[in-house]
Amino acid sequence: MILAPLDLKLLRDIGRMKGQLFAVSLVMACGLAMMIMTSSLILSLASTRDAYYAKHRFGDVFSDLKRAPNALRSRLMEIPGVTAVETRVTGRMTLDLPGMLEPADGTIISIPDDRPQQLHQLYLRQGRMPDTSRRNEVVVGEAFAKAHGFRPGHQIDAILHGTRERLTIVGIGLSPEFVFEARPGDTLPDNRRFGVFWMNERELANAYGMDGAFNSVLIDVAPGEATAPVLTALDLQLAPYGGLVAYARNDHGSAKRLDDELNVLRALSVAFPTVFLAIAAFMSSAVLTRLIRLQREQIAQLKALGYSSRQVGWHYLKFALVIVLGGTLIGSIAGVGLGEGVVSVYHKFFQFPSLTFHPDLTAIISALLASSAAAFAGVIGAVRQAVTLPPAEAMRPEPPAAFHTSLLERLGLTKLAGPSFRMAMRNIERRPWQSFFAALGLALATGIPIVPGAMRDAIDYLMDFQWDVAQRQNVSVSLIEPGSASALSDMAHLPGVISTEEFRSVPARLRFGHQSRRLAVTGMVPGSRLSRLLDESGTPVGLPPAGLLISAKLAEILGAKPGEMVRLEVQEGRRPVLETPVQGLITDYNGVAAYMDIDALRRLMKEGRTISGAHLTVDALQWPQFLQQVKESPRIASLAIKNASRQAFRQSTAEMINLVQGLYFTFSIIVSFGVVYNSARIALAERSRELATLRVVGFHHREVAMVLISELVVLTLVALPVGLLIGTGLAKGIVTAASTETVRLPFMLSARSYATAVLVVLMSSAVAFAVVSRGLRHLDLLGTLKARD
Amino acid sequence: MPPLAPIETPPVPARPPGEVLFSARGLTKVYASGESEVRALDGVDLDLRAGEMIVLLGASGSGKSTLLNILGGLDVPTSGTLHYRGAELTYAEENILTRFRRDSVGFIFQFYNLIPSLTARENVALITGISRDPMTPEESLRLVDLGDRMDNFPSQLSGGQQQRVAIARAIVKRPEVLLCDEPTGALDVKTGITVLEAIQRVNLDFGTLAVIITHNAIIADMADRVIHLSDGRITEIQSNARRRDVRTLAW
Repeated sequence: MILAPLDLKLLRDIGRMKGQLFAVSLVMACGLAMMIMTSSLILSLASTRDAYYAKHRFGDVFSDLKRAPNALRSRLMEIPGVTAVETRVTGRMTLDLPGMLEPADGTIISIPDDRPQQLHQLYLRQGRMPDTSRRNEVVVGEAFAKAHGFRPGHQIDAILHGTRERLTIVGIGLSPEFVFEARPGDTLPDNRRFGVFWMNERELANAYGMDGAFNSVLIDVAPGEATAPVLTALDLQLAPYGGLVAYARNDHGSAKRLDDELNVLRALSVAFPTVFLAIAAFMSSAVLTRLIRLQREQIAQLKALGYSSRQVGWHYLKFALVIVLGGTLIGSIAGVGLGEGVVSVYHKFFQFPSLTFHPDLTAIISALLASSAAAFAGVIGAVRQAVTLPPAEAMRPEPPAAFHTSLLERLGLTKLAGPSFRMAMRNIERRPWQSFFAALGLALATGIPIVPGAMRDAIDYLMDFQWDVAQRQNVSVSLIEPGSASALSDMAHLPGVISTEEFRSVPARLRFGHQSRRLAVTGMVPGSRLSRLLDESGTPVGLPPAGLLISAKLAEILGAKPGEMVRLEVQEGRRPVLETPVQGLITDYNGVAAYMDIDALRRLMKEGRTISGAHLTVDALQWPQFLQQVKESPRIASLAIKNASRQAFRQSTAEMINLVQGLYFTFSIIVSFGVVYNSARIALAERSRELATLRVVGFHHREVAMVLISELVVLTLVALPVGLLIGTGLAKGIVTAASTETVRLPFMLSARSYATAVLVVLMSSAVAFAVVSRGLRHLDLLGTLKARD
Repeated sequence: MPPLAPIETPPVPARPPGEVLFSARGLTKVYASGESEVRALDGVDLDLRAGEMIVLLGASGSGKSTLLNILGGLDVPTSGTLHYRGAELTYAEENILTRFRRDSVGFIFQFYNLIPSLTARENVALITGISRDPMTPEESLRLVDLGDRMDNFPSQLSGGQQQRVAIARAIVKRPEVLLCDEPTGALDVKTGITVLEAIQRVNLDFGTLAVIITHNAIIADMADRVIHLSDGRITEIQSNARRRDVRTLAW
């Protein structure tokens, strides 16, 4: 193929400028990678979820109840809009696992044995379903099985409803209701200590005293039908049977957690790419403007030879196209690679039969369009200027650059500054936009690494806040059924127990205006010393004798302010309803909760010294004996061990944080390197004559480099503080976007995070500058000086 | 229009020859040019003394600029030797050459090569900052009759004024050598003369060795010696018994 001469010129010019074009492409690629990664993740996660929910029939409406006869099922089928009803038995159980001192716990769910499973159909990864003719066979959830290396054939000891049983694992399975396989209310999965199990209905009902009855309902609503009337009808039907308030998918723990993740991704998919594309646009503009300026005479020649303005303009736009194609190619590869990396982390949080990464082609095409738009917007001005110049004028050298004393000098602030500083200031003022965008690029590069810094700081703070300041117990024990005063004294007599603090927890719905939330209302001892309620600054908040303290996030969701009355609908016992004031707000970081004085709650429930559990401090020396005894206590449903939770939390966040940090640091390095490299290359090209002069009159290489660097130093010094501000805003924005009802992060930034950001930018800038200043050494002194301007 | 050639101006008095500054023997420079090679300098032997005014004459490609660049430490010869005040410069390290340029040599080019972002005064002050015994920028600028334009930026000065700032910048460090590569090449006659006048003044007042490259044979009359170059060799060295004052030149 024979290339047109202009295209040959293009190829050779690209060859000479490859470093600079590559730098711009890389910055562009950062934005595109982020864009492609997030939208592909959204696509993968959402489509996998939708397919899974549809194929395995995830319900639309859910409710728990005390106990209802199986005959009720056919009545539920008659609720208008309902297409399928599944009734089942669920229960909590404690597990005694070999090699684990502490007990684990789990949820066990029935599989119908006289009919096919209607909803929440199990996906069997391995093994088979329990045989109706055999005893104690279970299917176990995959995350828990993986954490322990369980396979079909393994046996485990469990306490079901107070009876110790040896269960045989026959299968490993997944269910759409446990995509997020975690203990209800937990921020992150702790797959070693919490598992899900499935057992044949008759056997499970028998173990839990639920023969011929059910305590959990799932309902599928016909497509297009509203769920609200179904919720109301279901509540009505279940009320006589101790039904808790029915809820839809948006209140379902696992489904909500997955939706929250998608929302965070959506927030990230817009903000970041915009920033990177803007920097890339300015960089392409700077590079091509300079190219066009240097090729002024060539442009004139081409036009004198008869090339049209359109041909010449298109020739220069092709440079932008090269940048865009390079950026899109790198960005797509990086975006897909990163997405695959993130999916492998998702495998630890979300359980799907198969979660594979699907590159979002639409996103790649929009990335190509967005980056083309950005690059063309950046260069169109320079191209237009080049082609509109009449050839004769273009062939004359550009008039000498006009300079003025800089503003700082006119203000008399630079009396003591040396000539290179003065040159820097005047150059900056002569090209304010170029300087502004270079500084902006550096500022953004400084801001980016602050985001992972803020996450790390937030998690450090959160761990201290939650597990040192708020919770001072070693362990919290929950009972299977509410117990009496004797249950508390039993706990106090467990080996090594030093102190106890009882709590009472009841499921409830809190309403304010049109908003409501399902949550647990916890009654606490006033002036509690172990588990404490804290405000934002970590100061304990006293429990009022009447009224509620609620999570600040809950107040935000409900729109209720302290002093306002909310409606508390308890879902247990006699189901009392109470209009009560919000007395204050407390700060917590996962889920939402409400607290009240334990005696006030008991009076409301019309009960005596009932407890749901207790917080304990335990003598470290007797810890093993304590745990052993707990494992043998049939009344204990679960044990939250503070140090174990803390460690599990640290482990599961660490990987995500490291991934984010690696990503953002890379982005920051690319941007700061790219900006400094390009600015220095442009300065080198534009000011080669002046730099060569300095060399000729006796300046050493290093001294000339100082002249070149001082402008960048000034820009960097301006950019750093601005960047720290931008980064703070960016981090705050992301922390806010990632603050959902299920998980929140406090906004924290340490000096270390700021210092790291500054260091990252300074170091990559220094390296970029060193690379360019090598070119200074090879400057053709004579050629430069003898050339006409 | 001012008179270009005053009727009677006394010739510049001859002075006793100064000590030898440059001593070149067999100086040869070969440039590889694709497959062939170009002998830009071909065995040049030459001594240049303090206080001399030298003009290098020759056609384009005769080797004038190559010789000037090697003398000024901007280039190194392929073979032969070059001594400055008895010290060998031939294969000196980059640092030594930079030092040499900084301390001993002033350069003037056809294009003035001023720093556009610095005023006249600051362009000159750039050098006073790194020299051992400079005059003040103001003194230097007054020597080239620019005492009243010191705070102008290059873009606010005419070509001749810019070239005089370049001369002020070259002489402010009181160099022993002034190397001028076609200093009037881009200027009209009248302006060219004011520039040459400044060079002559420095040569006479400070005893600076001045080497001027030119195409213009008339300028040769202001020199002590005129060196003719052709194809990289010296073809003739012509000594003027009497130097003409620059102000009497016309072309």
